Amino acid sequence: MLFFVARRLFTAFITILVVVILAGVLIHVVPGDPITAMMAQSGSADAEDIARLTAQYGLDQPIWKQALLYVGNALQGDLGNTIRGGEPVAELLLDRLPNTIALAVAGLGTALVLGIPMGFIAAVNRGRAADFAVMLIAILGVSIPGFWMGLTFIQVFSLHLGWFPVAGTSARNIVLPALTLGVVHSALVARMTRSALVDILNEDYIRTARARGLRERQVLLVHAMRPAMISVVTVVGLVFAHLLGGQVITENVFSWNGIGRLAIQAMLQRDYPLVQGFIVIFATSIVLVTTMLDLLYGLLDPRVRRR
Amino acid sequence: MTKASKTLIALLSGATALTALPAMAQTTLTVARGVDADGLDPQQVSTTQSSQITNLIFDTLVTLDASGVAHPGLAESWEISDDNLSYAFSIREGITCHDGSDFTAEDVVFTFDRALDPETRNPRLGQYGPIENVSAEDNVVTVTMSEPYGPFMSYLGSFSIPMICQSSVTADGDFEPVGTGPFELVEWSRNDHITLSANDAYQNYNPLIENPGRPHIDELRLVVIPEAVARMAALRSGEVDLAEPSLEEAALLDADPAFKVYSADLSGQQVLTAFTWKIPPLDNPDVRRAIGMGLDRDAYAMIAYEGLVNPTTCPAAPGLIGVDLEKCAEWGVSYDPDAAREILEGLGYTQDNPLEVNLSVHALPGFDQMHQMMQQNLSEIGVQAELETREVAAFFDHMSQENMRTEGTPVVWTMGYSGVDSDYMTTMWKAPGFVNMGLGGEMDALLDEQRTLTGNARVEKLQEIQQILLEEGYAVPLVSPGWNWLWASSDKIDGFKTGFVASILFNDVQIAE
Repeated sequence: MLFFVARRLFTAFITILVVVILAGVLIHVVPGDPITAMMAQSGSADAEDIARLTAQYGLDQPIWKQALLYVGNALQGDLGNTIRGGEPVAELLLDRLPNTIALAVAGLGTALVLGIPMGFIAAVNRGRAADFAVMLIAILGVSIPGFWMGLTFIQVFSLHLGWFPVAGTSARNIVLPALTLGVVHSALVARMTRSALVDILNEDYIRTARARGLRERQVLLVHAMRPAMISVVTVVGLVFAHLLGGQVITENVFSWNGIGRLAIQAMLQRDYPLVQGFIVIFATSIVLVTTMLDLLYGLLDPRVRRR
Repeated sequence: MTKASKTLIALLSGATALTALPAMAQTTLTVARGVDADGLDPQQVSTTQSSQITNLIFDTLVTLDASGVAHPGLAESWEISDDNLSYAFSIREGITCHDGSDFTAEDVVFTFDRALDPETRNPRLGQYGPIENVSAEDNVVTVTMSEPYGPFMSYLGSFSIPMICQSSVTADGDFEPVGTGPFELVEWSRNDHITLSANDAYQNYNPLIENPGRPHIDELRLVVIPEAVARMAALRSGEVDLAEPSLEEAALLDADPAFKVYSADLSGQQVLTAFTWKIPPLDNPDVRRAIGMGLDRDAYAMIAYEGLVNPTTCPAAPGLIGVDLEKCAEWGVSYDPDAAREILEGLGYTQDNPLEVNLSVHALPGFDQMHQMMQQNLSEIGVQAELETREVAAFFDHMSQENMRTEGTPVVWTMGYSGVDSDYMTTMWKAPGFVNMGLGGEMDALLDEQRTLTGNARVEKLQEIQQILLEEGYAVPLVSPGWNWLWASSDKIDGFKTGFVASILFNDVQIAE
């Protein structure tokens, strides 16, 4: 077990290291530079000022040198300061990370609340109209862009019904973005639940349970649903990781003050340190979540440890 | 005291408190913008959205009226030496900074010293001019230039050169915005909201503002709502009082009596067409002028911009020094597709053998439709334009490279620019120029010269520059203003104004019950 944990932690460290290096290098491949982007909006895009600032921010150095400096600092925990505003990147991102995680958790909760009953209904009614209807809804949910769905929710629930505020970061504000994320991701949960449940319902022990005269409700909820949930739990980590990254657009639509929204603005402004910081912190979060899940599986299932 | 009497007293106290509530209620104006400030240090910020905020916290030495003439501000008077090298400003007494300290001549010297220090990384350093020395004696601050600098008073009256209080910089070197402006900072959560409160001690000297004292509203909350649809939903639902509308929404709101739409007429903004003039055949002024003749700027203003902007004719925006729209109309080209077709046919470009160009643009509200119309206009005069749209940072990077090329597919491109003085033509057209669009040679000399002049001599020089840009077809002005210039509010809001370079003024704002 100790070897398994050490191996998983080592893999996580290497992954984060690779991400830091890629973040340091790849940002320079994107067309456009932060100073020209900044000066284009300054009303004073003087060529001399551009050259002076480019040198002062060290952006006139060879890319390998800039990347090396970034990786060296990042590995010591220094993600630098933003080019726009000069704020410490790590502080800025870590301040907003809890908002992003809160939204991801709320989105995951909504996805489970919507997806599990949908999958259950579809599995129990396999091949019937209800099955097709539920799966159609699930496909629609995953096919409609979150961006469009979010704006529609704003029009309906905020503007016409007045139930929720349009923008902001509070307990009341989380409902609509969580619903948007939940609907989109519920499709995966529904399909997973349906597939697991359909397999289990064909098992001999279910037939035996029915033959023993157990009530159908007990068969489905206790004997079938419980083991099916193990399969569903395996996708929870996947969905959560996807939510952390996939909610960038949703944060923007609902003006949710998370790291994704900060990243979009930073990307448009080519604020290299902030974009790089976002990549590093975001990737580190994903690696940590998946590593924790791996360790958890290892703990629960000895077969994983041996692999 | 019996339980009943206690209850009665409690109820009476509650009633008294409720009666007093309306008089004590804070008036808060909530404003939604699409983009937040980059920072609140006015000597480090670069975007208009940032300066819109710093302009509320910091005042300027002089103020500008609607025609751009300088009036007293924090300086109650000034004298300019005959050789235009020395400016002596008498600093007004009795002005206090937000932290309660007196604003003095020392603060002015501190402001200039810090702005000019390379360590400050001031992106607008170029606008300060060739300042040699800044010193104070009693309440008089003297700014000495190494050579005359004509645009100085314009920039001094704009948000480019605001006055900061010394207490803005803490002992450990951090910047905390402390100014003398109408609002003081309460809280800033980057990319989310900025809260400002009214400066009770405020004295106004800006001729664009009527209210002589503190703003009527108590609190100003500027929230960031990136999506235009969400911003409009917030405005329509009453969640915010004022918002930046999308172009399409602005036209709808304009027709709705429940809303008001404001255009930043003093923005000094405009959109123009330029050319990669080093690449044949765009090195030929006749070709550039012919392309200009094919562009129907009236239609762009009316259709693409929903009639909310005006067509323009000068290379600098209407209202700025030296800008005479009638003279520019004579020097430049007007929409005449037949004449354009004739010129291009004479050079061998026909519908069957069109001149192939790239129409390179960046994404902005209103731009898309205008560029589609441009593409159509150009096809009618024998120019086949391939439309390339990039986001802003990538676009300027792309144009920096395209403007260096001397061969290959020529590029017709559009850009917007804004400023408080026609001097911004120097930034654009003096080699190497913004994104390498500079012309060099005679144009550089003229642009340098206008900076050393004042009064009518400067106006004449600025017009000479514009005449060349138009007659040689380097610039084809299209519309003004162009972007970030629209605001919309509910009809309950009164007194909202916009100032120079799309600054936003809340001193006169009152909210009706």
